[in-house]
Parts: sequence; C-alpha cells; structure tokens
Amino acid sequence: MGDMGDMGDMVDAALTKPVRHVHVGPDFHAEQHIHPEPTSFLAKYIFSFDHKVIAKQFLWYGLFFLAMGGLMAMMIRWQIAYPGTAFPVLGQLMWPQSGGVMPPQSYAAFFTMHGTLMIFFAITPILIGAFGNLLIPLMIGARDMAFPTLNLMSFWTNVLAGLCMVVSFFVPMGAAAGGWQSYPTLSTLVGSPGHGQTLWVLGIFLTGSASIMGAVNYITTVVRLRAPGMGYFQMPLSVWGIWLTAILNALFVPVLAAGVLLLFLDRVFGSHFFLAGAAITKGGGDPVLYQHLFWIFGHPEVYILILPAWGIVSDLLSFFSRKPAFGYKATALSMSVITLLSMVVYGHHMFVVGMSPLLSQGFMTLTMLISIPSAVFFLNWLGTMWRGSIRFATPMLFAVGVVFVFGLGGLTGLHLGAISSDIYLHDSYFVIGHFHLTMAASVLLGAFAAIYFWFPKMFGKMMNETLGKWHFWLTIVPITVVFCGMLVVGYAGMQRRLYNYQAYEFLKHLHPINVWMTRAALLLGASQFLFVANFLSSLISGKKASENPWEVGTLEWTIPSPPPHHNYDEIPVVLHGPHEFNNPAVTGKDWLAQDEPIGDEPAALGAVGN
Amino acid sequence: MHHWPFSWLTTVDVSRDGYRAEALFWYTTLMCVIAFTLVTFALVYSSWKYRARPGVKALYTHGTDRKSFLVTGILAALVFVTIDMNLVRVSQADVKEYTYNWPVSPDTVKIEVMPQQWAWNIRYAGPDGVFNTADDVVTLNEMRVPVGRPVMLNLKAKDVIHSFYIPNFRLKQDANPGYVTRTWFQAVQPGNFEIACSQMCGWAHYQMKGDLIVQPEADFARWMKEAEGDAKRRFDPADKEQLWGWEWVQ
Amino acid sequence: MTSLAHGVQRLPLPEESRRTSFVGMVMALASWTMLFVALFFSYAVLRLNAATWPPDGLAPLPKALPFLNTLVLLASSLLLHRGTRPESEEKPGTLRRAILGTMALGGLFLALQLAVWIPLWQSGFRIDNTGPYGSIFYGLTVFHALHVLAGLLALALLLPGAFSGRHTSGRSSSVRLSAMFWHFVDVVWVVMFVAVYLV
Repeated sequence: MGDMGDMGDMVDAALTKPVRHVHVGPDFHAEQHIHPEPTSFLAKYIFSFDHKVIAKQFLWYGLFFLAMGGLMAMMIRWQIAYPGTAFPVLGQLMWPQSGGVMPPQSYAAFFTMHGTLMIFFAITPILIGAFGNLLIPLMIGARDMAFPTLNLMSFWTNVLAGLCMVVSFFVPMGAAAGGWQSYPTLSTLVGSPGHGQTLWVLGIFLTGSASIMGAVNYITTVVRLRAPGMGYFQMPLSVWGIWLTAILNALFVPVLAAGVLLLFLDRVFGSHFFLAGAAITKGGGDPVLYQHLFWIFGHPEVYILILPAWGIVSDLLSFFSRKPAFGYKATALSMSVITLLSMVVYGHHMFVVGMSPLLSQGFMTLTMLISIPSAVFFLNWLGTMWRGSIRFATPMLFAVGVVFVFGLGGLTGLHLGAISSDIYLHDSYFVIGHFHLTMAASVLLGAFAAIYFWFPKMFGKMMNETLGKWHFWLTIVPITVVFCGMLVVGYAGMQRRLYNYQAYEFLKHLHPINVWMTRAALLLGASQFLFVANFLSSLISGKKASENPWEVGTLEWTIPSPPPHHNYDEIPVVLHGPHEFNNPAVTGKDWLAQDEPIGDEPAALGAVGN
Repeated sequence: MHHWPFSWLTTVDVSRDGYRAEALFWYTTLMCVIAFTLVTFALVYSSWKYRARPGVKALYTHGTDRKSFLVTGILAALVFVTIDMNLVRVSQADVKEYTYNWPVSPDTVKIEVMPQQWAWNIRYAGPDGVFNTADDVVTLNEMRVPVGRPVMLNLKAKDVIHSFYIPNFRLKQDANPGYVTRTWFQAVQPGNFEIACSQMCGWAHYQMKGDLIVQPEADFARWMKEAEGDAKRRFDPADKEQLWGWEWVQ
Repeated sequence: MTSLAHGVQRLPLPEESRRTSFVGMVMALASWTMLFVALFFSYAVLRLNAATWPPDGLAPLPKALPFLNTLVLLASSLLLHRGTRPESEEKPGTLRRAILGTMALGGLFLALQLAVWIPLWQSGFRIDNTGPYGSIFYGLTVFHALHVLAGLLALALLLPGAFSGRHTSGRSSSVRLSAMFWHFVDVVWVVMFVAVYLV
C-alpha cells in the first residue's frame, strides 16, 4: 500500500508543477529498454527489429516496385501513342513472337499490375512503411516502435505479398488483368481463369495484413510512446498525417481483406458470393457487392495514400519558410475531419453502377463537404509561406510542387463528385488524370520531398542539391503535362483501359495529344535516372551530414545523423511545438529544438503552438 | 443548341439532356480555373517575394489570431457556397428532371440490352410489347432509335460487367450480371454515332463497339416494320442463345 | 492542457508496458471487428437481394447443434474470465485449470461444428452448388472456426508459463491479450449464430 502513497505524490507533482520540472530519471522510460545493437549481418540488416532499418528496407522495397510500376507505365503510354510498334529494346525481349509489340492481353495485365504495384507496393511502402517507421519514433522521442516484432513481421509479410505479385507474371496466362480493382465477375473464373488472378488476391490479402500490422503498431506507438511534454498538438504534422493514415488503414483495410477473401472463396472453392449471370444456374450472388466492399475501403485508401504526404508537406513548408506552420491546429483538425469524411463518401465511385438514386444523392452531398477542410489546410499552406523567408532547397521545391499538383488534382475531384458531370466523365481519362494528380503526382512528389529531406538523417550523407533541383524541374513539368493531358482527353470522351483507342472513330482526332502525353511520360521516366544517380552516389560518396543540416527543431534533428541504435540516450522532454522559427525570444539562430529551453525564461508550454 | 468552349475537342452533343453534364462541367471548370489561378498566384508571388534574403526575417506568427481565423473561415465558406453548394443544387435538379426521371409517355422506345464479351445484344419487344417472345426484333451491335422520342434502356450483362457509353449523349450506364439497370435518353438530330464500352471487360474491351443509328421517325418506323417481318422468320426456338430478355423494368 | 495529455507517463513500469500492449490489442481487435462487419454486411446485402431466404427451395440450416455450440463457447469464455481475474493469483492452479478447461470447450466446439458441416456436405449441401446461401454459411462459419483454432493455439502457448507459475492471472500481459482474443471470437460467434442460423 505504500506504493500508492508514492504514486499519489507523483500525480500531485505532475499536476501542479510545469511539465519541464518533471524529473526524468534514467529509468523513467524503462519500458523502452536500450537493447544492445545486434552484430550479426542477418540480425542487423535482414531480420531487424530496429525501426530505422525496417524503414530502409521498406524504402528499397518501395523504390524497386516504383521502378517496376513506372516502367509498365512507360510501356502502356507507348502502346497508346504508337500502337503496333515495338517498345525499344524490352519489347523484343518480352514479346518476340509478335515482333516486340505488346499484345492486348499483356496490355490489360500491365495496367492492372501498374495500379496494383504503384498503390500497394510502391506508395504504401515508401510513404507509410519507410517514412512511417522512420519518423514516428524519431519525431515523438521514442526509442523504437511499440511492437518491434510486429514491425518485422509487417515487412516480411509484405515481401511475401510482393513475391505473389512478381511470380504472377510468370504463371500460364500471366498476371491479373481485370483492372486494379479486380471487379467480379471479370475477376472470377468467368473472366480470369488463370492463376495470376488468384495470386493477386493472395498478394492483396497479405499486403493488407501487413498494412494492418503496421497500422496497429503506429497507432499504439503514437498513443503510448510520446516523450514527456509531447502532446498530440506538439507532434509534427508529418506524424499527424501518418497517424491518421494508420487509423484509416486499421479500420478499412480489413474491409478490402473481406472482399478479396470472398473473391478467393469464389475462385478456389466455387462459392457464389459475386457470381451472377449466365455462368450460374442457381440463385446468383452479387458482383456489385464487391464494389461496395472495395470502395468502402477504396475511398479511405486515397486518403491513406495522401495523408502522410500532406503532413510532410505541411512540415516542410514551415521548415523552409522559416516560419511556424500557419494555423497548425486547424491543419491537424482539417486532416482529421477529412479522415472522418472519407469514411462516408465512397458511393461517389459508383454513380453509374445503378445504385439507388437516394443513395447517390446522399453520397454526392457528403462528398462536397470535403471541400471545407481541404480549403482550410490549403489556405494554411499558403499562409505558412506568406511573409516567410523561404529557402528553396530541393525538399522545399518538391513540397511546393505538391501544393501545385494537388491543387489541380483536388479541384478536378469536383467534376467527379457531382452526379450529372460524373455520368459523362466516369471511367474516362478524366478520372485517370484526377487520381494521378492526387494519388500519383502529389504523393510521388511528396515522397521525393521526404527522401531529399530525411536522407541525411537516414544515411548520414547529404544528397546533391544541383542534381536534386534538375530532378525537380524535369519531374514537375512532364508530370503536369501527362496528367493534365489525361484530363483533356478524358473530357473529350476517351475511356480508360483501351488497348487501341483508335478503334473508335470519335477518339481518332486525339492522337496528337496522346503522342505528346507519351513523350512527356517518357521524359518523366528518363529524368528519374537523375534521382537514381543522386541517391546512389550520395549513398556512397555524399557529403557527410551534420546533426541538423536543415536547421530545424523537430526531435530527430537533435540526435546524430544517422541516429544511434536506440535513438535517444535520454528520452527528451518536449517544451515547444515543432515549428518554432524566428521566435523573438531566441537569439543567434532562427530555429528552436522542441526540447530546448529558451534562455532562463522557458516558454510556457500551453502557449506554444496553439 | 448550346455552345461550349473547345467544342472541337469532343463529340457533338445530339441529345436533349447532354447539355446538363456540359453545363455543370464548364461551370465547375470555370470555378476551378479561378481557384487554381489564385492558388498559383499566391504560390508564385510568395515564392518570389518572400525568398530568403540576407537581413530579412520571417514573421513570427502561428496564424492563430482572430484575423487569420476569420480570413481562412470566410474563404473556405466562400468556396463551399459558390462551388460545392451550386454543384449539388444543379446536379440535384439534373437528376430530378432527367437522370432518374424515367420517361412514362406511351411513345417511349423500350430496348433491352445484354452486353457480353465482346458484343452488344439488343432487343426490341416487337408488336406484342413483351420481351423474350418470338416476335422480338433482335440486333447485334446496332441500335436504331428515332429522333425526338424518349428511348429507355434496360441493361443486364451476360457474363462480366460492361458499361453502355454513348459519348454523343454524354451518357453512361453500367450493365451488371444478375440484375437490371436502367437509363434513358432522347436524340435531337439524326446521324450515325458510336456505342462504346467504358468498363474493363476483358482483353478485347477496346473492340467492344456498336453503332447507334438515329433516324427520322418515318425511316425508323419503316426499318422497324421490316425487322418485325424478319423476326418471325428468323426465330428458332431451338437456339437457346437467342432466348434472352426479361420482364420490363420501368 | 494537463500534463497527462502531454504524454507524461507516471505509472509503475510493468503497468506501462501492460497498457501499451492493451492499446495495441484493442486496435487489433477493432481492425478484426471491421473484417467481420464487412462479412456480415456482405451477408446482409446478399440476403436482401434474395426473394426468399433460404433461397431456391433450399432447406433451412439445423439450429439445435449450433445453439448447443453457442452455450459451449459462452461457457468457455466464462471459465476463462474467472481464471484470469486478479483474484486467481491467490489460488495457484486456477489459471492453469481455466486454460485447460477453455481449450477443452474450444475443442468441443470445433468437434460439434464438424458434426454440423459433415452431414450437410454429405447430403449434397456443398459450398459450390447452393448459391449465396451455402457460400455464406460455409464461408462465415469456417472462417470463424479458423479463428477458434488460432485462439486455441494462443491458449496452448500460455500453458508452459501457466504450469511454471510465470502466469498466474490476467495481470500477465500475454494471458490478458489471449483472453481478449478468445472473448472476441466468442462474441463474433454469438452474432454469427443469431444472424446465420436464427434470423
């Protein structure tokens, strides 16, 4: 019972004294033990429990699939602009029997797998896997994730999923070819008898499981392992974005898992969940049920992909404008409101399915509400730059690029949210343009911003700024051309997923636009070699990075680059928000670390960042 | 006739109600252009004006004062009211007056469409007005409709999901296996137009093309009469593939 | 804001760690719940689509054995709950007996499930010839049974600790989490019994 008295004293002390006086002894965070660094190669680099190593594993893994998905995009664009001609070099290797020309079956498999790989195996691993893992513990002042074993399992489950996808290209009849949503009945044995589609289903189930493991870990880590003084509204916005993404992942990936599980049963055990039509004789299932499940997940999924990028951009704009994030709380809350809204708008993906009119109209109205929080954080981004002192280093260029392309992508969502314009634009290239601007361009530029920015912390080396800037300009220009071109041909009526759109008379005149889009896409692909070169050469012989090369105040920049195995020798005590730039009370520099007292007169905790 | 910007880019709209999609599209686009121009201007202006220069410090503000709050709130509300609420209003009117306002007049042309990999099966009820009977007029990849009369479709797919898409009518409707979906349109001028499939339906999706022939009433009536004559002659009850059709869903 | 909201942790250390794993398990079960919610949603959609239920003149499912099985699972949960209460620490062996008893009841549940499935399957009511009715029945119940199997495995892994005295009650995190999972699987079954067999 004596313990209780002590504890009561501690509670009293904590409640009455300002937080910075809370005594933080060496065993305060004994829960987060300092484990000795593993020494064997296998434990250190392959089956590592260290969030920083797992972050790097996810980064390499994601970049590999980004390259693969990107190459497929080039081949798809090639087929659209130059049908009947061989893709240079690779075409001859892949399709010698047709003289290097991509056959329609391969085209279908390629756009299916391009979408699947980019979403689940490139964007998700890079932004959520790599940066989620890297940033959450470092930015909240923890020694590792809450569940390191789960973290390890999450990565290796993902690898298993990736293997399913890669192997599926080599089975008879090839990889899945029913579109990345894999709508039944096309994705059942009726339309896809090959094993490729079954492997796709397995791969999605596995990668979904991996995402859930990661999400549970991320959420718990943020809830439980924040350093003393690190309230939710002292967290960097990057952590906010990743945390909200994790919540959506934990709640909605299971719905996709249920969908592909039933699809698996239909394919392998002959059940009739989604089967209907001429293929069956007895009481049909409902193919549209799958669409409901898919989009209940699918709409949150687009926010799952973009939220980390939003958070990262919000931080970077502040860091490089040398100004506190404008309306920090409003930005965090807007992102949270969007997270909530994303759960109740999925029906706008199904306006032409034949859903009940009442449902369609309800979903349309709810969809439009998203504009309000979006407008708020957009204005906050602009407000952050307003009257700043902006340093245009490469990460900042990419961050501003995100604001630009996301503006385009977000606004074109309006056309698709309203029923009567969506009925015309549905399944057209307008949709492709819209979601590539939001999910591909914004997220990709966000990922590049993050890589350029945290590369020094991850690898202890600086990336080359000149190459980085070239990479930016040679990316933003073609990426805008390609995806805006899609909006144009989409308005003109061009459907998505056509092997040869010139089969239709009404699309023939779009040829010059399509050729220019393909040229821009090829330039976009080529300019990524600048990134690869920069990444690899900096890794080998980059300038050594100091502890805090960007002069910012979030916790990860208060420890060496790269951080030691246990991150923090002592768990920091957080005193300020993450964006204390040009605070008049600070002299000699324009930034302030989150755990750094100001002179003799520390800022009152409650007043900062609110 | 309505005139829209960049009309050379897209197909000619020959429908009574296609202007709705166009009007909403261009209203939205105009609003987007205005909003995006403002954003880009702010972005470029700030980037230039507030670039780091020696001796100039950034303003220390968290943007939490009443003025910032008001400006943000008012601008966000303005966006919502001028853009979103208008879109909802116009779109609600459109669906009420057209999309879900199924034609009831007796001169409505009723057609059942059963797409399959990779063709459009099209069926008119014939003189008895009942589908899936011997006197039905059945065509493949060719739909004929008269000018000036509402045309209502019942769609149900045979194998996988397809989507009936007629760009000149700014119209699209999925056809699912298992149950019937509906849509309708009305042509205002004759001509030959394309029917396209807009839902991925297998590797030959791009070839799934049909013809929509819009004829003056007299021509359509003549064709229909001839086709009805042929129908009885061509009907073969042993051909199970020919026996499709369902009770009309109004 | 109070200091509590600022992430200051001031509980005894083992309790900190317990809480962390508890929060993780709650999130994991929330996620799992969504999986079953989605499955039940699918069931609801298919059932609302059908003109009659059971459709196509199929015979209704047996109710007696599944009802008995519901009682078996509820009893197992009750037993496990009693064994994992903090008070069991005072009586050595309580937890051990509770785990063994729960596992026995779980095994009985699976045996009774087999007694439901096998005659049905042999009578020609298979997953691939009974439309959505059979799909739902086999899909949901077998998927749930796999969870029971996973629960049994989790309980079995506790046994060494329970016998060595390392685990004496639910105050031990792994016991608590496994018990949470077991109760979760039970609750899912009750909903499934009502939805699939009764309604």
